[in-house]
Amino acid sequence: MSLRLCVSSLFPLKLPSPQSSKFPRPLTLGNAVAAAAVRFEKVTKRFSGHVAVKDLSFEVPTGGIFGLLGPNGAGKSTSIRMMMDIIEPDEGSISLFGSDRKGRDLSARIGFLPEERGLYKKMKVLDHLVFFGEVKGIARGEAKRRAAKWLDRLGIADWAQKKVEDLSKGMQQKVQFAGSLLHDPELVVLDEPFSGLDPVNSQVMKDVVIDLAKSGVTVLFSTHIMEQAERMCDHIVIIARGEKVVDGSLQEIKAGFGGRHIALGFTHDREKAERVLADRRLVASIDDYGATADLQMAEGADPEGLLHALVREGVGLSRFEIVEPSLQAIFIAKVGNAAVAARTGEAA
Amino acid sequence: MNKIFAVVRREFIERVRTKAFLLATLGLPLLMVFAMVVPALMMKGTDRTTRIAVIDGTNDSTGVQIVAALSKPTFKDGIRPKFAIEHVVMAGDVTAKRDSLLLRTSREVAEPLDGVMVLPENTLAAGKVAYFGTNVSSFETMGELEGLISSVVVGTRLERAGVDAGVVTAAMRPADMKTTKVADGKPTGESGAASFLLAYVMGFLLYISVVLFGQQTMMSVIEEKTSRIMEILASSLRPFQMLLGKVIGVGAVGLLQMSIWVGTVFVVGQNRTVLAGILKVPVETMQALPIPSIPSDLLLVFLTYFALGFLLFGAVFAAVGSMVNSTQEAQQAISGVIMVIMVGFFGVFAVIKDPSGSLGTALSLIPFTAPFVMPVRWSMSSVPLPQLALSLAIMVGALLAVVWVAGRIYRTGILMYGKKPTLREVFRWVRAG
Repeated sequence: MSLRLCVSSLFPLKLPSPQSSKFPRPLTLGNAVAAAAVRFEKVTKRFSGHVAVKDLSFEVPTGGIFGLLGPNGAGKSTSIRMMMDIIEPDEGSISLFGSDRKGRDLSARIGFLPEERGLYKKMKVLDHLVFFGEVKGIARGEAKRRAAKWLDRLGIADWAQKKVEDLSKGMQQKVQFAGSLLHDPELVVLDEPFSGLDPVNSQVMKDVVIDLAKSGVTVLFSTHIMEQAERMCDHIVIIARGEKVVDGSLQEIKAGFGGRHIALGFTHDREKAERVLADRRLVASIDDYGATADLQMAEGADPEGLLHALVREGVGLSRFEIVEPSLQAIFIAKVGNAAVAARTGEAA
Repeated sequence: MNKIFAVVRREFIERVRTKAFLLATLGLPLLMVFAMVVPALMMKGTDRTTRIAVIDGTNDSTGVQIVAALSKPTFKDGIRPKFAIEHVVMAGDVTAKRDSLLLRTSREVAEPLDGVMVLPENTLAAGKVAYFGTNVSSFETMGELEGLISSVVVGTRLERAGVDAGVVTAAMRPADMKTTKVADGKPTGESGAASFLLAYVMGFLLYISVVLFGQQTMMSVIEEKTSRIMEILASSLRPFQMLLGKVIGVGAVGLLQMSIWVGTVFVVGQNRTVLAGILKVPVETMQALPIPSIPSDLLLVFLTYFALGFLLFGAVFAAVGSMVNSTQEAQQAISGVIMVIMVGFFGVFAVIKDPSGSLGTALSLIPFTAPFVMPVRWSMSSVPLPQLALSLAIMVGALLAVVWVAGRIYRTGILMYGKKPTLREVFRWVRAG
């Protein structure tokens, strides 16, 4: 990661066009633009008194990986449930693949991993997957073949004849994950796919998601882990308290956030940096991790001045790097603001 | 359609595979056979001679005659006597003698007595005799002893009054009524007891299985709700498909189990002689057992009503399951449904009493009680075919209506978590959309 950022700090930041992606997009004929895979239009959902999703509009472009980000309780799962036609929005509309049919009618084209995983505990793993395939409309024999293939790919082929309840939580999650992909969907919706997984399993899942995107599948996943989103997503929407606060490609978002950001690493005499870092003429804000720190330069201050000041104080530096703002920093700034705005709104 | 079938298959296979199903399905017929065979074997086994000491305090010939009468009955082989009598003639206070004889009922002595009978001096006049024994709880033996003594006492009294001995014997021969069930104006060769037993067992089986499988349907909905599989199902299947698949799947399990059970009775009923041969039980003992022979038309009516009734109540149970969040809540919520089922079950008794009465007729037309009442009516009397057709038509109509309403409740209920809905809210779910 640091390598990538170093490169970007050495060369002037060149913004790719918003249409570009790490992943191929389905070919479109002539001038026709591919319909958005998912399109939310002024969607509102209330639950007995409180507003879970408020006037939410966004588009998930076809192809690539889309991240739906937000703190806990922001309305991510509610949005996804509405997308899947499990619950209906109170206001607004949601369209999938540009069609006016509902999510359930299109379910053969969509793979869905719900936030709260559920499996029949007493069923055998293979039977369970076959059942998932069948309710998506795949013939039994074909479902069996594909299930075996997925189990093999996820490294749990030995467990095919075991009961679900005998599996560890991570393995159950893999089974569920396979179940949502069995019918080769064109859109995969994953609600918090990496939560509760150990690093090894997390890696396996990540590889599958990347492969899906490479093969042209649109992947939408929700998460509150910013690092993951930053590494994987082309396009991001951040929601907080049911409202959209950020929407755009990763590059757009970073460019739009503005300011100059410095990543610092300390070797010794960390305490000598305190005075410099507290200087509001140099540093606008700091996200302090002890041995490292991410900071945003104050308006008009230049990095050379900061570096000079730190060296003069005798601070031992292992890293001094001009970086893009991290998604984490953007998230905290934006969501923090939204939270503050909402709070003042309540007070008024 | 294929999706419904997938749900049906899952429900069916997963249930049939469980140990509980295997145990119940095979266990009950085994239990039935056991319950039938054991009494038969017991009847064969109780041919041990009962040893009785009779303390005879009578000063006329009554005591002697009673002892003679008691010594007469033999077992089926016609040789071994049922009772071995030790005749002790003694007047006055017999307490000491009685107690010393009672000591011999202890199992430690050789050839222990089963009991001691005391005939007081005025046995003939008062007709009061006493029996002290280890076997007093054997109603059959006690009844036989009492009967034998009675006939001696009554016969002697009549003779003393000048009635001819031959007349006494002829006069004392009891009447014996044989009951035979009539259906469609023809005797069926079935005894009354078998007919009643059949009706009762059918009503009971229907009641048990509707409650049992209905609750299984409900539990399975609750499981899907609490484990959140519902979200995956709801994003792939229409609620109506889920409901129908589930009810049919669980119902098929019930139908299979019921067919095995009723089939066993059917087969056993048809093959008594063979079975008697296998078990080395006298054929007449086997024939005497009240195993109902099930006519095939009754089998058909029974299974049809079971299927319809199950689908009807299954849909209701599924809807209730969708409304609640936990098993505890469900127990409260189903009490109403259970009540309706109970009415049907108790209706069976009304029908047994009077199969063609107006109550029976009414209950066999009401869709919620017909599944219990109609098969029983069919077994007890001849139901006019138009009435059967009407009952079936109402049943099917009600089934469609109930499934429709249940589907609407289910649709909203399965995704509602938290608070239990009020009746008013449920009504709104049904009307909505």
